[in-house]
Amino acid sequence: MLKYTDYDIVFSEIPDETTLAINLSNCPNHCPGCHSPQLMEDIGEPLTQESLSLIIDKYINGITCICFMGGDNDPKEVRHLAAFAKEKYQGIKTGWYSGKQELPSDFKTDSLDYIKLGPYIAALGALKAKTTNQRLYRLKKDGTHEDITYQFWKH
Amino acid sequence: MSESEIQIVKRDGKREDFSIEKIKSAIRKAFLSVGSFAFDENLTTILGRVHIDDGMSVEEIQNQVEIALMAEKYYAAAKSFMLYRQHHTEDREIRNKLEFLINYCDAQNPATGSKYDANANVEQKNIATLIGELPKQNFIRLNRRLLTDRLKEMYGQELSDKYIRLLKQHFIYKNDETSLANYCASITMYPWLLNGTMPIGGNSKAPTNLKSFCGGFINMVFMVSSMLSGACATPEFLMYMNYFIGLEYGNDYFKHAADVVDLSIKKRTLDKVICDYFEQIVYSINQPTGARNFQAVFWNIAYYDQPYFESLFGEFYFPDGSKPDWESLSWLQKRFMKWFNKERTKTVLTFPVETMALLTKDGDVIDKEWGDFTAEMYSEGHSFFTYMSDNADSLSSCCRLRNEIQDNGFSYTLGAGGVSTGSKSVLTINLNRCIQYAQMQRIPYMTYLEEIVDLVHKVQLGYNENLKMLYNKGMLPLFSAGYINIDRQYLTIGVNGLVESAEFLGIPINDNPAYTGFVQEVLGLIEHYNKKYKSKEVLFNCEMIPAENVGVKHAKWDREDGYFVPRDCYNSYFYVVEDQSLNVLDKFMLHGEKYIKHLTGGSALHMNLEEHLSKSQYRQLLRVAAKDGCNYFTFNIPNTICNDCGHIDKRYLKECPVCHSKNVDYLTRIIGYMKRISNFSAARQKEASIRYYAHKEGVPAC
Repeated sequence: MLKYTDYDIVFSEIPDETTLAINLSNCPNHCPGCHSPQLMEDIGEPLTQESLSLIIDKYINGITCICFMGGDNDPKEVRHLAAFAKEKYQGIKTGWYSGKQELPSDFKTDSLDYIKLGPYIAALGALKAKTTNQRLYRLKKDGTHEDITYQFWKH
Repeated sequence: MSESEIQIVKRDGKREDFSIEKIKSAIRKAFLSVGSFAFDENLTTILGRVHIDDGMSVEEIQNQVEIALMAEKYYAAAKSFMLYRQHHTEDREIRNKLEFLINYCDAQNPATGSKYDANANVEQKNIATLIGELPKQNFIRLNRRLLTDRLKEMYGQELSDKYIRLLKQHFIYKNDETSLANYCASITMYPWLLNGTMPIGGNSKAPTNLKSFCGGFINMVFMVSSMLSGACATPEFLMYMNYFIGLEYGNDYFKHAADVVDLSIKKRTLDKVICDYFEQIVYSINQPTGARNFQAVFWNIAYYDQPYFESLFGEFYFPDGSKPDWESLSWLQKRFMKWFNKERTKTVLTFPVETMALLTKDGDVIDKEWGDFTAEMYSEGHSFFTYMSDNADSLSSCCRLRNEIQDNGFSYTLGAGGVSTGSKSVLTINLNRCIQYAQMQRIPYMTYLEEIVDLVHKVQLGYNENLKMLYNKGMLPLFSAGYINIDRQYLTIGVNGLVESAEFLGIPINDNPAYTGFVQEVLGLIEHYNKKYKSKEVLFNCEMIPAENVGVKHAKWDREDGYFVPRDCYNSYFYVVEDQSLNVLDKFMLHGEKYIKHLTGGSALHMNLEEHLSKSQYRQLLRVAAKDGCNYFTFNIPNTICNDCGHIDKRYLKECPVCHSKNVDYLTRIIGYMKRISNFSAARQKEASIRYYAHKEGVPAC
């Protein structure tokens, strides 16, 4: 099960998209220097199809993308909710910010348009730092993917 | 009550123990000055007529002494006493002026130093700005007298007294009371094109070529602005400039802008020639202006997408019978925006305030090319307003005011009907005080507001009569020469403290039915009265005033009088400016149709962001605005200006990227135009520092 603490409308997490970012708790990664350490705890409300729909309905006129921030404790549920959102809200894009180095071996990416991978390593910095270990990928329909991390470094 | 228990109130408001000896001494002096002497029995009979109560003011006591001297038939002494009082009053005024003069000279910046009308539109204080400040108090008195005399004549003494009482107790606020001129106007330049500036008191003939257009335009804007207290909008500026470029270089000039057209040794291209004219006009108009107390003129221009252009100028003919050419104008509008954005990285250029007018349909802009270009300019860091409408029935005439267009037709003497609009005068209701006062008096607040709303309409009608009087005496050449159509100018009812009054009532400030209901109820009442008082010659609209200085004043006065005041400057928005729980889409929603529909005079959403978005993200937000019905907005990202090397950067930075100095200042938009934050008044600077910039930072390190 996934739990969420809050959400926001963000612009820099996924380039060129107007994104509804949902912060998921119970993060198993425990990266030293984490930007949101409270998300390591088992807090917040359950994120279900119903609660997710309520949030999306409020902003569906304005957003182009939904992004799950975290959720490494239950990747299957992330995929499940992403698939649900894509099915219910035609044309919406989906993204997942995972803190793992790699996707789980049996993970199907068919319902995601963006995936961020990589733990936060303070010495290397987050996505905006050119030295970062983290990567953001755009997943294409043909099953290939493009590393678009460079888009964070434009300025 | 014995003498020692009685206290009187001095002119500075302080209380002091009453002393009968002071009165006796003043009466003795009055007698002596006319060669006589006041014996004890004289004093006893005079003082027998004077009744002192606890808390009485010095003025009241002196009035009683005057009457007592007259009643006892000491006419000479009474006259001397009156003259003595008058002399002291004059002394006090001069003393106050001197004190103000010294304080102003010592103030941190002109906006903080200004006592009556803090305005950031002045860069630095000097002898010229001081000269402008000194007569402000006299203007306020004169304006009040003109208005109250008129109100007495129209509605009787009682209403006139009530107006002054509400004004002095800060239930209402008369904007721009320090100026005699009507407020702001969007002008048609057609009369200038036909007759030059002579009909408005100038001496130049109609422009005949690009050079005379550009030079004449600057003079014309200065002349027009000196007869207005607020903004001067020239929504046809680029259309006329395009016409004159076309006359000289052909309508397809933009297709060969790279050609060398200057035979001097500079060998300038046509593009360079055009940009040099932009430079001449923009830099000249940004100069401090003598006729406006060293303030720059407040100049606004507009850009149009094709459907907006066609509905405003579809019937338009230049005096030579030709029609405006859209293709070249489209190019020129873009060229000006690009040039202006780049020029602003070189120096602080406040004006023109630009508004992009876009026509919408089905949740998006109709003209995709101009929608994309608008998003592109925002993403390149340009700061301007966007005005959206699903019908070209309105236009913005100022940095905030929108006005319905009465007539989109064309006239051979006045040009395009749609562009001539504006506001004659603004009178603002302090909603927070009115609503709290009504609750305290156990009156339903809508009942009390109705009384106030009715009164402000009557007062505005009084103002209108005075304006007509000036017009009939030939004092308003902008109207008589046709630059402004007096019948298309609005009398504006301003509102301030709307959010604060809802907070007082315990209503959450976000998109919820209680808040929507409250906003619609209050603004709907004003709109109802706007319609009720509308006639063939008067129109009313309602705007949420930008709270540059009124919001600060209201918060201060209301707090002093014990009202609930949640912040130091009342909001100019439908949301709480420092509320971090509201995201970008929430704010668009709170400035959407549901909330603004009764706000016929407008209010601009200033979307504060910490960082610029990409073109496609801005484009998406244009769709959001169109869907929500948020018709007037701008994006506000503080630009950084280095105090050491002068570098201007479009981003919000803590350190100068060129010289790495941390001594940086920020340019931001508070009431429509870009200014250094350090030029705002002290209270406004505080507001700017707590203002919440929606953060884009912080990719969570999950």
